[in-house]
Amino acid sequence: MSDSTERDITEPKRGGRDIPPIAVSRTTTEVNPTGSWKYIQPRYEDRVAPCNANCPVGIDIEGYLYLLGQGRTEEAAALLLEENPMPAVTGRVCHHPCEDGCNRANLDQPVAIHSVERRLGDIALASPPPAAPDPVRDERVAVIGSGPAGLACAYHLARYGYRVTVFEAAPEAGGMLRLGIPEYRLPRAILDRQIERISALGIEIRCGTAIGRDVPWSELDRFDAVFAAPGAHVGKDPRIGDADNAPTVRAGLEFLKEVNAGGRPALGDHVVVVGGGNTAMDCARSALRLGSEVTVLYRRTPLEMPAIPQEVKEAKIEGVKFRFLATPTVARSRDGRLLGIECQQMMLGPPDESGRRRPLPQEDGRFTMLADCVLTAIGEDCDLGFLPEGIEISGGVAAVDELCESTTARVFVGGDAADLPRSVADALGSGKRAAIGIDHWLRERAGEPVEPLDLAGLRFGANGNLSIARERGTDPLHRADPVNEVAGWESMNPAHFRTMARNEDHFHAAGDLTASFGEVNFGLSDREFRDEVARCMNCGVCNRCELCLIFCPDMAIHRREDGEGFEIDLRYCKGCGLCAAECPRGAMAMSREES
Amino acid sequence: MKKVMIGNHAVSWGVQRSRVEVISAYPITPQTQIVEELSDMCADGRLPARYIKVESEHSAMAACIGASAAGVRTFTATSAQGLALMHELLHWAAGGRLPIVMADVNRAMAPGWNIWTDQNDTLSQRDTGWIQLYCETNQEVFDTTVQSFRLAETVNLPVMIILDAFFLSHTSEPVDVTDQEVVDEFLPRRVATYRLDPSDPHAFGALVRPDAYMEMRWQQQEAMRDTLQRMPEIDAAWGALTGRRYGAIEEYRTDGADLLLVTSGTITSTARHVVDERRDRGEMVGLVKVKMFRPFPTAALRSALAAAERVAVLDRNISPGHGGIFAEEIRSALYDVPLEDRPMLFGYVLGLGGRDVTPAVIDSLVERSLTADPPERQDLWVGVEL
Repeated sequence: MSDSTERDITEPKRGGRDIPPIAVSRTTTEVNPTGSWKYIQPRYEDRVAPCNANCPVGIDIEGYLYLLGQGRTEEAAALLLEENPMPAVTGRVCHHPCEDGCNRANLDQPVAIHSVERRLGDIALASPPPAAPDPVRDERVAVIGSGPAGLACAYHLARYGYRVTVFEAAPEAGGMLRLGIPEYRLPRAILDRQIERISALGIEIRCGTAIGRDVPWSELDRFDAVFAAPGAHVGKDPRIGDADNAPTVRAGLEFLKEVNAGGRPALGDHVVVVGGGNTAMDCARSALRLGSEVTVLYRRTPLEMPAIPQEVKEAKIEGVKFRFLATPTVARSRDGRLLGIECQQMMLGPPDESGRRRPLPQEDGRFTMLADCVLTAIGEDCDLGFLPEGIEISGGVAAVDELCESTTARVFVGGDAADLPRSVADALGSGKRAAIGIDHWLRERAGEPVEPLDLAGLRFGANGNLSIARERGTDPLHRADPVNEVAGWESMNPAHFRTMARNEDHFHAAGDLTASFGEVNFGLSDREFRDEVARCMNCGVCNRCELCLIFCPDMAIHRREDGEGFEIDLRYCKGCGLCAAECPRGAMAMSREES
Repeated sequence: MKKVMIGNHAVSWGVQRSRVEVISAYPITPQTQIVEELSDMCADGRLPARYIKVESEHSAMAACIGASAAGVRTFTATSAQGLALMHELLHWAAGGRLPIVMADVNRAMAPGWNIWTDQNDTLSQRDTGWIQLYCETNQEVFDTTVQSFRLAETVNLPVMIILDAFFLSHTSEPVDVTDQEVVDEFLPRRVATYRLDPSDPHAFGALVRPDAYMEMRWQQQEAMRDTLQRMPEIDAAWGALTGRRYGAIEEYRTDGADLLLVTSGTITSTARHVVDERRDRGEMVGLVKVKMFRPFPTAALRSALAAAERVAVLDRNISPGHGGIFAEEIRSALYDVPLEDRPMLFGYVLGLGGRDVTPAVIDSLVERSLTADPPERQDLWVGVEL
């Protein structure tokens, strides 16, 4: 190297004049507080990912995906379990509306959140059971029903420190998870272990004890609050037409309960399932496993089916046939034995009150189908006869407020018995809201200085479910100045993401399914799981990608000393907005400077 | 390690051996293979450099400027319209005294659209302040690449390595890829004098008023003058390690020559054959190859050419409205030779847009130049007028 390259830039040089060979300032740029130029300034503030806002349970999905991405698996599991008592179950059976909201659909495909949740749920199941929390509260709470709503309420209350007793009418806990969902979707070993972990929190579960049948309502007087989540266990009248039907025309839910309890009824060669929801799919696939040929009859088209699309797809792969735009009108039987059904071909008319197009009979569109058995899955009702008078029932369900409080003091009602979408996730979310409501109600009753609950602040976004972490102030992610606003696709910067194909679950090859109720979905491999975690874009939430720091031309963005994100040095930020424009996930926004 | 490789890959290997730390480039025919190979090298770990993808040559040079200003060894490659798109930033690199090295594969400028070789793309950037080195063989391409980093970092000027499209870029020749230890001995890590440093923040490239601007330009010119000394020294140092040296110019069989051809790039190789044939027949014909065009080796060329009676400059380029660019610069260099000793100069424009320049073409120009009267015009278009 020549001497000329080693000269100090501030030293005099050839030519006798003190001028450096390049245009470089002698002083540091710190003498120029460029922050005085700005009229808009960045706000470093985290928003809400749409998956969180879409989750009926109110899970911090984005949060646990972030922690997983950091390799902080235990913390991720803890955050998941903070909101959801049974991720190994929901990872398998939830209809995952989280994925419907996923911004990634605009780039390639949504993140397979359910697959990640399932794996994380299984990881949590494999860890030692949690220690029972100290019962720091004196009050006792009774929960009626050990389905997802009841168990969620019991779980959260137990974690709050209450003593909880669950009354279950069936011989085993689980409610519709055990009675209604077939084993090939939810293995009983998984359900058993998940429930064991919940009861390990010190929750007493009294099975075979139906309120109103085995013990009177007055038995509950010794409890300080009651949460009733009895579920919807009464299949709608299965009869076809007016005539008395053969005994093999039956409610699908009854059939599922029989099979799920270990029964293996002979249904005959030809089974017709009526309906297009999840119960219909469960009936069809269970009947297939009992050796029957199965046809699903649905009065609308595939577009209007309420069943989870994946369930429909699997049913088709397994060999279930579908006949759309058709409804049974008459069941023909001889000597008490079903021969077949007469059906009416339908067509779609204008939308009905559900927003779906109403099926109307098509002229001359009649046909018959051979059937040895018909399973109807056209909806279920609640039996609320055990509830004391004074609780308002409307439309077959209890009238409750957002926190599940009924019109009678100390009685809360939730799950399918409240006016909710009938899903496992909605039930879990309802149980959580009830727990928050009961806790608040009991504290108030105990004369503790409680402030009114800020429900809007506890919700993920404007319409999401309530968050326990927010209610308890235990968000482990230290989100920066959180704004309770969903980060939609328009707040993302797609330039910073590359497409990565979604990792789909692996399925059991459809072959001879007879009598095989083993789990059909094997989930993701380890590597696919990691890849899927990496697909999360952390919408709206800073994940410390440091692009703002890299792009800031004034070097006005610094890492915080505690490692929790960044701080902006407004003395030098000149308000150019690059950080907000480049932030891949909308965690930085510009606003007019306050003068 | 001897490998058979195309000229483009000779650049890539030179960059790899030089332990470049940041590469930013945008693909363009006929250059693309240079950075394609480099991106492979970055991906498979042969070259632990940061490869920055960009959306244009303008951004490629901008990224190189940023990286070089931060103190790391930096490389890019381009050609023709891509180089033209960089034009503004070529000034920034040179004025910022950044030792960026760039390979340009000489390709004719459009329109008419053309991907074949001539020198107008690089010669159009003559006054941007870059050192320009024109290569004749793939081995020279490799050697020049390694030398360029040392030269650039010695004088704090950016260097353009120039090779002919297809005749070098896509033609395979044996290349001795010098061992890493030897290159390391020749080329130490870059130590940047001026460096963007967050812990000592300074403003770079800001306003310079009339009272200082000229001094900066003067220093740039001083560095160019310095390069005239440094380049042959560095070339000699490389020669001591590898046995291969090229010089800013090369005089080939010039002793007592009546006629000297002046060439650059691959035309040189062809001309060597013609010179050999003529010499073997006892004719006094020689060759001067110009490798370094900027800074222009005026003194060396003057001493190499002054003794000849006639000089024929073969220009694969044209300055429209003037003449072949090498010819005009050499004409200017010979102005200080007393009139009675000054050689007669023929300026031949040929081979534009990749048109083949064969031994027969060159031989005919030798024949013509040995006997013709002084030219009527400074530019004689071979294959068009002649």
